[in-house]
Amino acid sequence: MTIARALPLLSLILLAACSADPVPGPTEQIIVREPGDAAVETAVATPEADPELALIAAGKAAFANCSACHAIVADAANGVGPTLYGMIGKPAGAVDGFAYSDALNASGIIWTAAELDAFIANPAAKIPGTTMVAGALAEPEQRRAVIAYIESLSAS
Amino acid sequence: MSDAETMADSPKKKGKWTRRAFIGAGVVAGGALVVGVAVRPGNPIDRLSPMLANGQDEQLLNAWVKVGADNVVTAVIPHVEMGQGVYTALAQMLADEMDADWATVRILEAPADKKYVSDSIGRDFLFPDLEVPEIFEPTVAGGILELAQAMGLQFTGGSFSVRATGQRAMRTAGAAAREMLIAAAASEWNVPATEITTENSMLSHAKSGKSEPFAKFATAAAEQSLPAKPKLKSPENYKLMGKPLARHDIPEKVDGSAVFGIDANVPGMKYAAVKAAPVVGATVASMDASAAKAMPGVLQILNMGDFVAVVADGYWQAQQALNTIDTQYSKTEGDDLNLDGLFARYDSYLNDAGDDGGDIETEEGDVADAFVRATTKVEAEYKVPFLAHATMEPMNCTAWVRDGKCDVWSGHQAPVNARQAAADAAGLDFEDVTYHNAYLGGGFGRRSEKDNIEMAVRIAKATGYPVKMIWSREEDTMQDHYRPSATSRFQGGLDADGKAVSWSNIHTHLFDPQEAPTVPYYNIANHKIRKVDVPTHLRFGPWRSVDHSQHGFFIESFVDEMAHAAGKDGYAFRRELLAGSDRHLKILDLAAKMSGWDQPLPEKHGRGIAFVPSFGSIIAQVAEVDMSGAKPKVKKIYVAADAGFVVNPDGFIAQMESAIVYGLTATLYGEISIKNGAVQQSNFHDYQMLRINEMPEVEVQIINGDHKRLGGGGEPGLPPLAPAVTNAIFAATGTRIRELPLSKHSFA
Repeated sequence: MTIARALPLLSLILLAACSADPVPGPTEQIIVREPGDAAVETAVATPEADPELALIAAGKAAFANCSACHAIVADAANGVGPTLYGMIGKPAGAVDGFAYSDALNASGIIWTAAELDAFIANPAAKIPGTTMVAGALAEPEQRRAVIAYIESLSAS
Repeated sequence: MSDAETMADSPKKKGKWTRRAFIGAGVVAGGALVVGVAVRPGNPIDRLSPMLANGQDEQLLNAWVKVGADNVVTAVIPHVEMGQGVYTALAQMLADEMDADWATVRILEAPADKKYVSDSIGRDFLFPDLEVPEIFEPTVAGGILELAQAMGLQFTGGSFSVRATGQRAMRTAGAAAREMLIAAAASEWNVPATEITTENSMLSHAKSGKSEPFAKFATAAAEQSLPAKPKLKSPENYKLMGKPLARHDIPEKVDGSAVFGIDANVPGMKYAAVKAAPVVGATVASMDASAAKAMPGVLQILNMGDFVAVVADGYWQAQQALNTIDTQYSKTEGDDLNLDGLFARYDSYLNDAGDDGGDIETEEGDVADAFVRATTKVEAEYKVPFLAHATMEPMNCTAWVRDGKCDVWSGHQAPVNARQAAADAAGLDFEDVTYHNAYLGGGFGRRSEKDNIEMAVRIAKATGYPVKMIWSREEDTMQDHYRPSATSRFQGGLDADGKAVSWSNIHTHLFDPQEAPTVPYYNIANHKIRKVDVPTHLRFGPWRSVDHSQHGFFIESFVDEMAHAAGKDGYAFRRELLAGSDRHLKILDLAAKMSGWDQPLPEKHGRGIAFVPSFGSIIAQVAEVDMSGAKPKVKKIYVAADAGFVVNPDGFIAQMESAIVYGLTATLYGEISIKNGAVQQSNFHDYQMLRINEMPEVEVQIINGDHKRLGGGGEPGLPPLAPAVTNAIFAATGTRIRELPLSKHSFA
């Protein structure tokens, strides 16, 4: 190849690089809602200022470990696991329509932060026979955050 | 940090640009030695060391190697991994020259930074055969560097990585690092440097029995004067180059831990689904999003002018809501275009060009005269369709624009270009954008475009929070930058002995490489090749092997037609055309021999041969087909390849095999058609891929013909495939295929 033959290609590329038009923004923007749930949204304090909110925010992020199986909105359809919305203070096996294991139904547990902490640390150890076979959280801090987040979405 | 001047080719030529890039060295945090081949004068180690030392914020340069305190050798690779195995091959080249312990060599992708684009790539890309008198070297090399920067040529494509960056930069960096370590050890041990040997990241002196790891001398090595021209190994001393070493990225791709662009995970990230105007150039005239607004998870609905986006908590929610939006589009000139109309337009432009119009690409002798005098005249016209890339990972990009900064995550073949595109879309400076590249789930040229980057940045700018935009498969298929469809016409003349005396070709548009339509390797005294550009509203893009994908089919089909007209066998006829080119003949002969060319085949079976040199490599293929059923069954492909010197034979063979998968998919099924200006195909039901039961057996043999001039591996396996198959169909049935794909033809 000669220089002369290479140049047309080059000039095309350079022209393309120089002709950058201003890139348009949206001509129409419908904002249905802002990201984040109501609990965080309506709080006046920011997570930076309020350690409690910061913990809940961390818990929300860590809930990604749970969300493949569990929803956390009211009346959500059950997935692989039951919805966790409002679970704190309720007895084990309380969500309508979810097929809990016999072991969990018979456990007699009322879900408190402490009970939940023990369960998600190692579900099979806490309730042998549970069908929750994934999603255990080994890190105590992560459990504390996730439980704070679940508590923030409970009726109490 | 060692002294920072250095970078000269030799003391006498201090500060002068040369064909070799500049070598730089220094010590970074933790006492690690860093040696690199820089692309500009001045030692950039100071500025680079923080990036390399903390492993974050990775950006590129040409080629660098780091020797850590733990004696781990890290190769910094200025290219992206899209399945082609480039990390492994380039690391092999560096580690071999350095005598590094392959078991502990690590690989780091270089960061996307304009300062470190490769002049060697720029040079080979623009001026592959340019020989420059030494006196002009400073200007030319400096100029090329600027051009390379302007073009954002931290680029992976054109089958360039091994033959340009590997050959010129990785090997030089490795050899320089080794020489500096030896010099440091020689000084410390007080023995002649020539008595020190290196192996497996260790330095040894046999006479004194001394032996120490590279790391021991890392700091001292940086104080050594830099070798002007490190001595590269000759092939008989290669230990890693030429060996089929296992790919570096196999474990993470098998266990699922490999991170692709689509795997980007940013805290607080939301998801966007998009639908662009079906006719390129149209805009959204009106949008009814009333149903979408009420759907679960929906955060925002955006009319971006040229596309509509829905942002939601999850991708599926976004896509489902998007599907309910009723959109009307503006009228454009492209609305009336159908595929037949486009080919009719090609015909009319070719007709208008006549015998002398169009742009001449090459001309030698007097084609018109030779054709008139020819004993036998052959004429043919061929057509190929638009093709989509259909990468396994659909197009996507994650972006976050806030506080005057922008972060972008994707897998792109030209990370510097992607970074610039993001800056333009965000209205920010290049320096305010951080581009995070990941593995590419297939590239084939599609991931060298910037449309997905711009779209994601525009959405993220509108929302203010991080957004991952994912195209549906439908969007990916319908909004590609397509391999151009093309029509090509030939006239060939044969003398009384059946010898080719004239070759005339005119075809629609030319993209790249410029030599794709030409046949300089065939001895035909009179030839003339022209092109006509035909305007369309469709977006063209590079596709695997670029223009060789069309012209390989055109040229090798017509050669076969001339052979038949001459009453000669396709292999024998090509031997005549290649007479005197020993390297070419060797490959053609090898393919024929591998296939048992002279051996009889069962009834309704046929063999076809095709020969296409491209991207610096010479490839011949023989296809064996069974035409006894209703559909062609391609049974076996024999590949003979001369890529100069193959650095990793296992990787190279895999590239030949994957080119056959990709090429056979296109040959059998590939067609993007246009109706009312819009693409008609949408998913794999109407844009079919080759199935596993249709995959022919592939046999590859390699000849290393020139260890100083390497050829490419990613693309050259593709161009001969289609004509080898269609020539085989002709041999089996007498039916000449002049239009692809084969699914348009009936063989019942």
